[in-house]
Amino acid sequence: MNYSKLLIIIFICALVMYLLRMLPLVFCKGKIKNKFLQSFLTYVPYAVLTSMTIPEVFSCTPNFLACTLGFGTAVLLAYFGQGLLTVALSSTAVVFVIGQLVEHFKF
Amino acid sequence: MQESVTETKNNFKKGFKEGLPIALGYFPVAFACGVTANKAGLTLWLNQLMSCLTYTGSGILAILNLIQGGEVFLFTYALTLFVVNCRYILFSLALAQRLDRNMGTLQRMIFSFFNTDEIFAIVTQQKGDLKAPYLFGVATLPYISWAIGTLAGCLFTDIMPISVSTAMGIIVYAMFTAIIVPAVKTSKPVLCVVAISVFLSIILECIPAVKQMLSSGWIIIICTIIASSIGAVLFPVNDEEDQ
Repeated sequence: MNYSKLLIIIFICALVMYLLRMLPLVFCKGKIKNKFLQSFLTYVPYAVLTSMTIPEVFSCTPNFLACTLGFGTAVLLAYFGQGLLTVALSSTAVVFVIGQLVEHFKF
Repeated sequence: MQESVTETKNNFKKGFKEGLPIALGYFPVAFACGVTANKAGLTLWLNQLMSCLTYTGSGILAILNLIQGGEVFLFTYALTLFVVNCRYILFSLALAQRLDRNMGTLQRMIFSFFNTDEIFAIVTQQKGDLKAPYLFGVATLPYISWAIGTLAGCLFTDIMPISVSTAMGIIVYAMFTAIIVPAVKTSKPVLCVVAISVFLSIILECIPAVKQMLSSGWIIIICTIIASSIGAVLFPVNDEEDQ
């Protein structure tokens, strides 16, 4: 693909991305009065994050066992009140160690 | 006046710190994007232009996929990106309800560019109205990390050990978990919404016919709309509550 075609593709993608993010934020300034919509939007963050995490987290690395244990670590640490950074780094460490072990010993 | 300047600074600092874990999480994702772009044949400059202008990991991987496939129709690119990322409409709608009234159109237009999954997830955890300095504080480090990460990925495609970058694949999900779990622990409605999302997401992802028809972008939207609607019907929020 030639250079100018790639440039056009990039600008179109940037535009689509920006409009998706910008339009609702700029044009829905007033507080929504409708009770259903209000409640709906309150729950959106949790529903979105959950459906992005599950089931993808179990296949986020090629090793299912490592993913599952890493995810388990994240759930436990978060449950016991650990912060974002601790949770993120600990579960990465678990995935790394398990991944290495599995590769080494060919479970 | 002096006091409000201090307040602005403090708000920014608070947000700046909260952006750190997101920035750490972005680096490996950005690195992976850079590596993929390099392998797809994009020049360093094109890769950097794309990552800095679109600012979306999942979106870029989808675009690169099309570029590698030699797709020529521009509409396909626009539509793919729309489908992969139309959850941002929901994000922005939800966020619009939480913004400080004094936040002007220009500030909204600028911030919306930086509104990613993770930034949305962090800022909506705050109680009360969201102020502009705080929002821009949160947005700062992740964007820098993103830009440096894609550059590094493109420059040092073969340097990062595969074992490390593979393990880092879980960071983003671990962050989401760290946000969902405490909320589930303290709120029954959220527990219910999360349980429904888990159930629907697994069902939809596991039915081959559905998986063939719908990209995971659509599955996320469908799960979100159904689960949040059920939550809204069963547990309507009170106006007095600040959430």
